[in-house]
Amino acid sequence: MKIFDIALKDVKHTFLSPFSLVMMFGAPLLITGLLYFAFGSLIAGGDSFNMPLTKVEVANLDSPSGGFAAGGMLVEFLQDESLADVIEINIAPDEASARKAVNEQRADAAVIIPPGFTSASISPDQSAEVMIYQDPTLTIGPGIVKDLVSHFMDGFSGAKIAGQVASDQLIAYGKQTDPDLVHDSAQQYATWLQSGGHDSENAAVPSLSIVSPARETQSDEQGQNLFGQTMAGMIIFFVFFIGANSAQSIIHEDEQGTLSRLFTTPTPQTAILGGKFISIIVSLCIQVILLLLASSLLFGIGWGQPVTIALVSAGLIVASAGFGLMLMSFIKNTRQTGPVMGGVMTLTGMLGGLFTTGIPNLPEAMDKVSLSMPHGWALQGWKIALTGAGPAQVFTPVLVLLGMGILFLFVSSVLFHKRFAS
Amino acid sequence: MYDGAAIQVQDLRKSFGDVHAVRGVNFEVRAGEIFSLLGPNGAGKSTTISMLSCLLKPTQGDAFVLGHSILRDPQEVKASLGVVPQDIALYPDLSARENLEFWGKMYGLRGVELKRRVDEVLEIIGLSARQKGKVGTYSGGMKRRVNIAAALLHKPKVIIMDEPTVGIDPQSRRHILDNVKELNRQGMTVLYTTHYMEEAQELSNQIAIIDQGKVIACGTHIELVKIVGEMDRIDLTLNTGSPEVVKRWRKTAGVSSIATENGTITLLVEDSNQVLPRLFESTLPGVRITSVNIQEPNLEAVFLHLTGKALRD
Repeated sequence: MKIFDIALKDVKHTFLSPFSLVMMFGAPLLITGLLYFAFGSLIAGGDSFNMPLTKVEVANLDSPSGGFAAGGMLVEFLQDESLADVIEINIAPDEASARKAVNEQRADAAVIIPPGFTSASISPDQSAEVMIYQDPTLTIGPGIVKDLVSHFMDGFSGAKIAGQVASDQLIAYGKQTDPDLVHDSAQQYATWLQSGGHDSENAAVPSLSIVSPARETQSDEQGQNLFGQTMAGMIIFFVFFIGANSAQSIIHEDEQGTLSRLFTTPTPQTAILGGKFISIIVSLCIQVILLLLASSLLFGIGWGQPVTIALVSAGLIVASAGFGLMLMSFIKNTRQTGPVMGGVMTLTGMLGGLFTTGIPNLPEAMDKVSLSMPHGWALQGWKIALTGAGPAQVFTPVLVLLGMGILFLFVSSVLFHKRFAS
Repeated sequence: MYDGAAIQVQDLRKSFGDVHAVRGVNFEVRAGEIFSLLGPNGAGKSTTISMLSCLLKPTQGDAFVLGHSILRDPQEVKASLGVVPQDIALYPDLSARENLEFWGKMYGLRGVELKRRVDEVLEIIGLSARQKGKVGTYSGGMKRRVNIAAALLHKPKVIIMDEPTVGIDPQSRRHILDNVKELNRQGMTVLYTTHYMEEAQELSNQIAIIDQGKVIACGTHIELVKIVGEMDRIDLTLNTGSPEVVKRWRKTAGVSSIATENGTITLLVEDSNQVLPRLFESTLPGVRITSVNIQEPNLEAVFLHLTGKALRD
């Protein structure tokens, strides 16, 4: 029972310390959170970069000619589903109301299709014009509208050129040109063009094939995995830190005189050191569980299968508790603990690869170096767990972590026993 | 039931490398008495106490607490002892009650018994009303009282107190001395270390004077003062520090011992009426005696007589 009394007292002490709480939960969540909010959308390839919709009033004053309606085609083009996340079209009954909508800033731009637009667009001796009336303070939205309309108008220009070229060729070969035939040809060409026939990628017979690396569908998963690894690095670093910080209580109690007093009570030395070890284990368990839950809720990290996570967590906790106790067994007083802990934790964290989790294609040698540290094995375990792997796949890193933890604990027990033996 | 000496110390020695902190200490504390170890700082009192508390292993010798050897039965010794360390050994971020509950558990107390004993000792030390305050916020005297209380929880038959009044205000000191007497009245054997002669004199049935790791005298207050015999103690101050004058006085007829501490020169003399004029005569030009105080022999005089130096040197 005494072993648990000692453990409970130390756990209480740890959780009443603002410094411990910040280092346990605040720091790892804050660092990962900063990365998440700074680079989250880029890494995850998500759609968090959304340009606001450009509101466009369209006044179609055109009237069809011979069953062909260029104005209607332009309206349909602008209302195409593929443009729905760029522009929002509202049909105005007349030019005045379209202009008014822009003046009152209910719309960013107005597209005014004039009367006779159809005949002007296919007649070789006429010029078709569409008026764009825009809010002068805006540039991007109306610019997009202008580009879209220009793109559409280029189609009609192409049709007119095609009709003219056909007519010129007939004359050059001494043939008579039929103006109605030329008009019909241009009209058909325009219809084909506006119906998407010109689309080099999506036409029935595409002339251009653009192939991208297969990343689009996986980007979310990759991003989450990267955040998972970053968070795993933070968890490992701060779990090792808290392991050492909690183990510091032995040095602190030694200086405070309470450790000597404990030794004057009929409490075996093994129970005193055992209580310290249990308190570290309990503190770290609470830390890991809360960090996993919080990171899952805040950053949407999927940590993998529960049994795998439990195994990796157990390995990490035992290794860091043993490491913390061993580190403290070499330290003589609390004046040394700050610099030694800071230095050793940073160095071992670096060697263990905790600060380079987001960097791809690291040299293989660095992976090998990282496995000389318990941190590296813990990171390997978490990386495997993050892929959703089963318990069998983390067997090696967990076993290594448990082995290291027991070894560290043994070394610290020998050193502490030697130190406190009179 | 054990009915021998509460504590028996037999040729206890402790060395740290070349430093011989305790060099063959022997004494016996009878059940139910207050026994003081009196000596200056560094005399070996705390090292002796640490060995009796099983914190340090003796280099040689043995000691017995209620018949249990500190070498062979340390767990029994620990269970039968209450130890009040010289420094405050409490958890500052816990309340007095929480501290006492924790230390009670370390002595094996649980449940209702633990609660009752915590209430009782809080009453004894007069801190029932402040029991919920964090110890870190207490005054030095209050901390000292809680420090003592933690050693009383398991009702030990023998309690060891290592300089429990160091660095506290007179009121708290008085409170602690009264507590020690009360505990002794209730049947507790007390081994008390101090370098305050007045405390040893007031509390103790027996006093062992310890210096340089050895017990140089042991007995009741009266027995110890008899060592000095009929000698008088004279405290003198000069208008200026003069080692030459002290040198002259050392050779003056009738002067047994002389020691200087904080500008006061203490002499043990055979007959103050005869020696005092000689002291005045042997001063140097420009050196004046500014005060003279003649006292009956006390423990300080005994220490001076035995060691040739003042107790607080």
